[in-house]
Amino acid sequence: MTPEQKLAALFAAEAPPRRDYAFEADVAERIARRRAWMTVAALVPWMVIAGIVLWALQSFLETLSLELATLIQPLALVVAGTVVAAGVGLWLTGVLQRRVTVAATPK
Amino acid sequence: MHGALTDAELVSRALAGSDAAFSRLVERHQAAVRAFLRRFLGSGWAEADDVAQEAFVAGWSSLRSLKDPAGVRSWLCGIAWRKAQDRIRSNRRGAARDSGWLEMVETPAGVAPEEKMALQAAMAELPADVRACVSLCLGDGWSHGEAAEALGLPLGTVKSHVARGRARLLKALGGPDDA
Repeated sequence: MTPEQKLAALFAAEAPPRRDYAFEADVAERIARRRAWMTVAALVPWMVIAGIVLWALQSFLETLSLELATLIQPLALVVAGTVVAAGVGLWLTGVLQRRVTVAATPK
Repeated sequence: MHGALTDAELVSRALAGSDAAFSRLVERHQAAVRAFLRRFLGSGWAEADDVAQEAFVAGWSSLRSLKDPAGVRSWLCGIAWRKAQDRIRSNRRGAARDSGWLEMVETPAGVAPEEKMALQAAMAELPADVRACVSLCLGDGWSHGEAAEALGLPLGTVKSHVARGRARLLKALGGPDDA
């Protein structure tokens, strides 16, 4: 074997396989991680802006929430009453249905 | 699905957001990039593969800067080369740099283990530029022009690096001094 052939043989011996699924999966994973970080980084300025806007509107939002609470309170009572009434109605219906079924069953 | 597509078409699809197209590029060029890094870095294969993965991720994120989509292999190897140089500069490898080269490789028939070690030592002594040129042109059969493009070196420099590196490696394997 000539030195030239030995050199070629040694270089060829360390060549990676033509297809390597594990390596390709590792690259895909790293890309997915990079993309996730890029998404987070892209969202940071918007989060900062949203924080500043909310901070600037703090006093206005406080007033608004109090006004809304006054406005919504009667409506919330009506909704809560309706839900309770509906729940009780359903429960009574179930109880009555069971009693009627027991009474109608021949002994 | 992407079997018959050219590199340029795959690059175009990857730029449009297709991960499958970029995966196909990885599949197609991983062997070339990893082989180059294994020879250039000379350490264990794990480090070469780690740098190769970094290179592919860097390629993915800077795909828009690729001027010639048909030359994606050279472009990726160029990125890999810069990453490998950074790795050599930054770390931890220093004097131990080339101690692991070829240790994981089975000695081919007709080659003595001492010759393998001699080649390892000779590669370690080559300057980084020369080693890169030798890895691409002698190891992977790249043309001088392709290597010059990938490494960002003048064509004449690549030719002289390859000739010089080849002579040193052949001498280490028992060739004449002026091989």
